[in-house]
Amino acid sequence: MNKVLGNKKAIAVYVLPGLILYTCFLIAPVVWSFYYTLYDGSPGIKWNFCGPDNYLRLFSDKNFMKSLLVNCKYILVVMAGQIILGLAMALMFHFWLKRFKSFVRTIVFFPVVLPIVAVAQLFTKIYEIQPHYGLLNSILAGVGLENLVQPWLGQAKTAFGSLCAMDIWTSIGFYAIIFYGALLDVSSDIVEAARIDGARAFQLLRYILLPLIRPIMVVCLVFSFTGTVKMFESALTLTNGGPSGATKSLSLYMYTIAFTYSKVGYASVIALVVFALCVIGSFFIRKLDKDITR
Amino acid sequence: MKKKIAAMILSTAMTASLLAGCGGNDAGSTQESDSAATEAASQTEVEPEAEETDDTAQEEAGEEPAAPAETRTIKILSMWPEDDAESTANGSIIMAMLQQYQAEENPDFTWEYEYVDSDNLKTKVTTLAASDDLPDFFAYDAGTSLLELIEADLVLDVTQALTDLGVYDSLDEGAKTYLANLTGTDSIYDLPLGLNIEGFWYNKALFEQAGIDGAPATWKEMLEDCDKLLAAGIQPIATGAGDSWPATRLLHAYAIRLMGADCMEQAAAGTLAYDSEGFVQAAQMIQDMNTAGYFGVGATTVDQNTAADMVMNGEAAMLYNGSWYTSSLNADTNPAGEDGIGFFSVPAVEGGKGTVTEYPMNCGTILCLSKASYDDSVAGFLKYFVTHVGDYSMNEFGALKGYAVNEYPEDVGGYTKMVADEMNKVTGTGNWFEALMTSELSTVVQENVQSLMNGDMSAEEYCEQMKDTYELTKPN
Repeated sequence: MNKVLGNKKAIAVYVLPGLILYTCFLIAPVVWSFYYTLYDGSPGIKWNFCGPDNYLRLFSDKNFMKSLLVNCKYILVVMAGQIILGLAMALMFHFWLKRFKSFVRTIVFFPVVLPIVAVAQLFTKIYEIQPHYGLLNSILAGVGLENLVQPWLGQAKTAFGSLCAMDIWTSIGFYAIIFYGALLDVSSDIVEAARIDGARAFQLLRYILLPLIRPIMVVCLVFSFTGTVKMFESALTLTNGGPSGATKSLSLYMYTIAFTYSKVGYASVIALVVFALCVIGSFFIRKLDKDITR
Repeated sequence: MKKKIAAMILSTAMTASLLAGCGGNDAGSTQESDSAATEAASQTEVEPEAEETDDTAQEEAGEEPAAPAETRTIKILSMWPEDDAESTANGSIIMAMLQQYQAEENPDFTWEYEYVDSDNLKTKVTTLAASDDLPDFFAYDAGTSLLELIEADLVLDVTQALTDLGVYDSLDEGAKTYLANLTGTDSIYDLPLGLNIEGFWYNKALFEQAGIDGAPATWKEMLEDCDKLLAAGIQPIATGAGDSWPATRLLHAYAIRLMGADCMEQAAAGTLAYDSEGFVQAAQMIQDMNTAGYFGVGATTVDQNTAADMVMNGEAAMLYNGSWYTSSLNADTNPAGEDGIGFFSVPAVEGGKGTVTEYPMNCGTILCLSKASYDDSVAGFLKYFVTHVGDYSMNEFGALKGYAVNEYPEDVGGYTKMVADEMNKVTGTGNWFEALMTSELSTVVQENVQSLMNGDMSAEEYCEQMKDTYELTKPN
């Protein structure tokens, strides 16, 4: 095997097909996208060379800054929610739940397989206020918290939180199952030894379990980051970026610019920013990974 | 050496399987997504001569096409489901026209009807335009959006085509003038699919229940009626502000009564600032009405269909809507019955320039034709469509679509008659709020209107953002 892999021609033969496909379907569109950034309008309709104008516009575009902020906030909130609650759920499966383990795991994992459009429809009904109260407002009204009944998706101050709650609910099962797998791998001897040494629940988590599942934690961070940085489908289907752009992510803004405003060039600049955001995020996660490996 | 050969064979097999995999997926997805497309493709393969003839005809577009001797599959991109008899009925009407044309005039005629929802319509058309693959007929937004396609020489000059076919008179005169004014062109480049006036619809039983006798004549009276309705425990107005546009229509309604029906034309031309006192007052009015609870709780989350149903169901007393609403009102499923809903024009604002006989008007979402693919096959159906659609939509749905109606049915629905009576009162028309706005400005006014209603944004801020966006994006 070493002999084959040491042969440069053999490597070329193995790598080339994949490389060609990767170049055609990934690198070429990125380069093409860069070319688009130098034009104004939409190909085939109004398509004029505009030089660096699209890049300059980025710095004076308040909506872009707002979308960037929304996207960053979303990454932080949803990542934290997915990881922390996913881990909490896994700990519950492993240490607390004695009966119906499989059933509960299935129920928690169930939202992961639902299409996001269906989930958005479900949550639209949950958050509903007119013509009839949805589940959330009904519960609030039922327990005497009438003052908390509000149009959750219709006002800027609550729409973002409502969207994050939906996305965390949808994906929490996925992270719970990964963390649960990691916890199963932790030797029971170590946990028992720690307990004999007098470690309490928090100390056990902080000094024994977390260090042992750190590699899995990094994997989950990567998954969570890549999932949240592209923030699109859920925001589109639940709130369509509104109200007043409170849930408009960079991807959604890019989509509006390209297809509503017919400015593909400027949208391509925003696409490059999303690309840069991915590169920066991946860099930090890789750095964290390296630190752990050391 | 043997290992090298083995490696070569393996990698070749891998590449082949990958490519085969890609090819297989493509074929599969095409078949799954649109079996009609496959059918169309096969038809093109079998009939290369027909295609050639089409191309020749295509080059000669503009000249009078002959009788529909040549036939190919016509593509229609629509934003109405094929069976939408209880909403605008446009999908049902287009389908009926296609079927009738096939049955009566051209048995070989075939079509592909593709539905795309209104939110994605512009995206789809823009993408198809960019790839030079516009369908023969496609639904699109009238006004500024269409102007972009006209300037890019992508859509058919409908005036020219219908004149060549000798059927230009089949279009309603009012619709022709209206569409030409919207794009600011001499010719029209689109077919109307509605001739609507807008105003307030009210549930008569709820008005009676609250002790209100008759429709209000002034905006002030309307607000007083709202108070009476609230006192009677009835939600005064349902607004589909979740869809945003119904809320901007309300703002527009107040603005045209305050500043005159041509205020939006003036604003688009730059002679009336978007942050002028009149617009600020209109924005403030919408906010105040929501704060007073006239639109009910959580008005910004309700879509227009739900709002329309609420008025018919007696869950709210008033609704601002266009006369396309008659399709729902005339339906047997209307719980308010044949005479339960009334209509009144946007009430006058004291001291305002607008009068109650000036109506906001529109021609619905329009139907355009691709210039590049216009040929005898399209011309044949186009001729049939414009000469038959007026009568058909009036007879079947009691709806005016912007075409000449030769025979009115005897038992025309009460609501249709009500709209026809209102149309006779028209002395002036205005567009809808976003008709002359750029896409950017249109998006900004719609995105912000919910925050305006909720009080997250002041009326001044709302108008200031309109003005800023207008300044940034106004055409040179």
